[in-house]
Amino acid sequence: MIQKKICLLGASGVGKTSLVKQFVEGIFNEKYLTTIGVKVDKKVIELTDKSVQLMIWDLEGIDRYCGFQAKYLRGASAYAIITDQTRSQSLVEGIEIHNMAREVTDAPAVLIVNKADLDVAWHWSEKEVNAYRQDFQGYFNTSAKSGSEVEAFFSCIAKLASD
Amino acid sequence: MEQSLIQALGIINCSILKRHGNNKFEVMHSNESWFYQLTPEAKDQTIFSFTDSSSYLQDFFIDAENFWKIGIDGQIQSGIWTEQVPDHLLRLEAIAAVSKGESYLVINNLQEQYDKQQNTVQAARELLLSNDKVLAQHEYIHERLEHLLMRNHDLESLIEPINKAIESANFAVMICDPQLKPIKQNPDSYDLFEMNRSSQEEQPIETLLSLLDKQFPEFNRVFTVSGQWNGELFWHKPPSSSKWLQVAIYPIKNEHRAPKYWVFIVSDITRVKYLVQRNEKLNQFDGVTELPNRQYFWKSLEQAIEKACPFFVLFLDVKHFKRVNELHGHLGGDQLLVDIGQRLSPLLHENDLIARIGGNEFGVLLHNLKSHTRCEQLAGRMIEAVEQPFYNENQQKIMVGLNVGVANYPLDACNAEELMKLADLAMFNAKRETKSTIKLYSKALKEASDKRLALEEALRTAIDEEQFELYLQPILDLKTGKIIKAEALIRWKKSEEIIIGPDVFIPIAEQTGLIVPIGKWVITRATQMLSKLQNYDQDLKISVNLSPRQIADRRLFNFILVAIQDTHIPAKNLELELTEGVLIDNFNQVYRLLNAVRDLGISVSIDDFGTGYSSLAYLQKLPIDHLKIDRSFVKDLDNSDSDKAIVLAVIAMAHSLKISVIAEGVETQSQKNFLRDHKCDSVQGFLFSRPVPFDEFCTQLRNQSK
Ligand SMILES: Nc1nc2c(ncn2[C@@H]2O[C@H](COP(=O)(O)OP(=O)(O)OP(=O)(O)O)[C@@H](O)[C@H]2O)c(=O)[nH]1
Ligand SMILES: [Mg+2]
Repeated sequence: MIQKKICLLGASGVGKTSLVKQFVEGIFNEKYLTTIGVKVDKKVIELTDKSVQLMIWDLEGIDRYCGFQAKYLRGASAYAIITDQTRSQSLVEGIEIHNMAREVTDAPAVLIVNKADLDVAWHWSEKEVNAYRQDFQGYFNTSAKSGSEVEAFFSCIAKLASD
Repeated sequence: MEQSLIQALGIINCSILKRHGNNKFEVMHSNESWFYQLTPEAKDQTIFSFTDSSSYLQDFFIDAENFWKIGIDGQIQSGIWTEQVPDHLLRLEAIAAVSKGESYLVINNLQEQYDKQQNTVQAARELLLSNDKVLAQHEYIHERLEHLLMRNHDLESLIEPINKAIESANFAVMICDPQLKPIKQNPDSYDLFEMNRSSQEEQPIETLLSLLDKQFPEFNRVFTVSGQWNGELFWHKPPSSSKWLQVAIYPIKNEHRAPKYWVFIVSDITRVKYLVQRNEKLNQFDGVTELPNRQYFWKSLEQAIEKACPFFVLFLDVKHFKRVNELHGHLGGDQLLVDIGQRLSPLLHENDLIARIGGNEFGVLLHNLKSHTRCEQLAGRMIEAVEQPFYNENQQKIMVGLNVGVANYPLDACNAEELMKLADLAMFNAKRETKSTIKLYSKALKEASDKRLALEEALRTAIDEEQFELYLQPILDLKTGKIIKAEALIRWKKSEEIIIGPDVFIPIAEQTGLIVPIGKWVITRATQMLSKLQNYDQDLKISVNLSPRQIADRRLFNFILVAIQDTHIPAKNLELELTEGVLIDNFNQVYRLLNAVRDLGISVSIDDFGTGYSSLAYLQKLPIDHLKIDRSFVKDLDNSDSDKAIVLAVIAMAHSLKISVIAEGVETQSQKNFLRDHKCDSVQGFLFSRPVPFDEFCTQLRNQSK
């Protein structure tokens, strides 16, 4: 079976770990436990014509305590930039991270706006978010809590990774 | 043996493998409790190969193999990772090592370090998130209110929508008139300060203002210059209530840039502070630079006063910091602050203090200096240190400057509040210079500052009463010698006798934002003139200067559009003039604006070309019609070979990009000849005419056609 590496990148606390947990184990935890370093999870995904084993690299949030590390993107067939719709700053940072990632890889990228179950608290208009979306091959408004759009997101990234 | 020794000492929880060729390892030492969970394939084998069960390790082997092949003594590390084994998680780090020609793989179990690191970072990150949220909420409500209050309706009709916006905000919102009298305070404002809404006693806004006065003596400046402000306050109500508050103050300005309302937004951040206190270090130190924070600085300042030995208080403000954040992101900005802290600290004496006391502000206490001169010298060294280029992760160069304000204990003041205020005033004066500057507080400085405020006031009146006049300076085509264009230059006619030049009031207008209404007046006036000039020459253009603040004003484009429509002039007769610096500072905004005006047919020229950051890359990306070679190059054209070379290079470059060239400041015949011989397109300068009133300009046009 083919294996594909994908990376989840974003500011801290946006829900990277929660998305993986929801997708792999179907579990959600309200308590925030920040990730240190890297954790890799595996899950097989059935696409229309083949099965793909995704190796999902959940990376430590990128902020003033942990910088962007280009080396983790090596060999990644796709990556996702995760943002949090309750925190404007996470989109700004997500775009910065995307720009840094673009310098080291041409892999397709997906933009995730997470925590869809909570109220939108950023002052970006739909138009502005749409403008940012143009730079990505996919876009999903997910909730790691309810599970909404989580499957769709990982199927999409699996497909992008194996095309 | 070694093995048992490692175990006996229990030095580190690790497993050591010796490498015998491509993916062949021998276990030298292992911690059985976890090693075989990670690599079941090694069990009962003398030599074994890793299967690909750990993706992270497989990825590390790419680097490790390269390293082992080179075979030079040393080691490389994988970085920490988490591995899921049947019933728990392992926190590991791998090391590829070469020692005396032998290759090893060491796997460390870092559970303890992991827990420790997670503990510290956890608190810091939770804090970061709550803080971000509070600030974002403030910003959001501010934008909504600004949107409402900017409308020119009477307050009566706005009350309803305002109430809706702030009634259930979950934090205090207070709206005041310019005299800081409350117009509207939402229910949360009363709840926050545990006040009764119906009581006639103190109002929330009064409590807030008196807290500000005590804890941020320098904040009064916010009101005098109509700025924004953000900060933290501590509120205590005996016997047992106390809260930490995050405060944001915003002016809502009228079309003349004078505050029409003040909006105060206050959140209770006691919980956030509690998180900070869980982490003692964060409580006293700034999380970014690891320098002491504002609270610590304040405490040290008070202690220093108690000792009653003379000392200096310095406020340092990092110039162009906003630009760094925009260009290099917040992480880049944070890193710069760290680097600045590291450059400044070694300049200080052991018992001096440097702290981060605001976004891009540092505070310094100097105890060991005998005189103001010494203090100035040291401040000069600080500026020098900060003006050396910084480099970010991608080796991009970052240049910033430093404004320094100085106050002395006991000469200038004897209490902490006053000292902070005076140092801030001095720094604020330094800030007005374009270059890094040191200002020592003095009476004269205070007076100059007051005088400036008076000038600002006068300028506001000037705008209300339209005490301006627009002069025109002709620009001639070098081939035909005919006037094809004029640059619009503003004069302030303060009274019949007093005319103030733009070099005096434009910088103040720019700093205060008054440039926006002034700029609008210029555009209106220029389009009116163009309409009259249609009788002389239908192609004659007027070029109008735009400043950075004007360009940042989103309504500019619309204003220009309406001005053109109102006067029925062809859009192509209007030209906009920008300086190079503006291009760099606001590239995206400039890009959008210029493309939009270009679509209307308006042309664009770049002023002062050659003095700044002349970058071909910018010119190519933007729709530019003309470059103006700065007068400083034209001035010495007769004597300076290097200026000649620059002028020639600019002309050649511009023409290759199909941009025409205007030389300004042409004063002599020989300058003109040189420019004509080298295909410069047009000229402007005293040799032809000084800036003249409209009627005189018309006379010149008439004379020329005779
Ligand atoms: N309501 C809601 N909460 C979420 C959602 N996703 C994550 N959270 C919460 O947000 C917090 C952070 O989630 P994590 O998944 O740990 O975030 P992370 O991006 O992995 O954070 P770092 O590892 O620190 O970079 C936790 O308290 C989660 O419970 C979501 O979709 N909805
Ligand atoms: Mg995580």
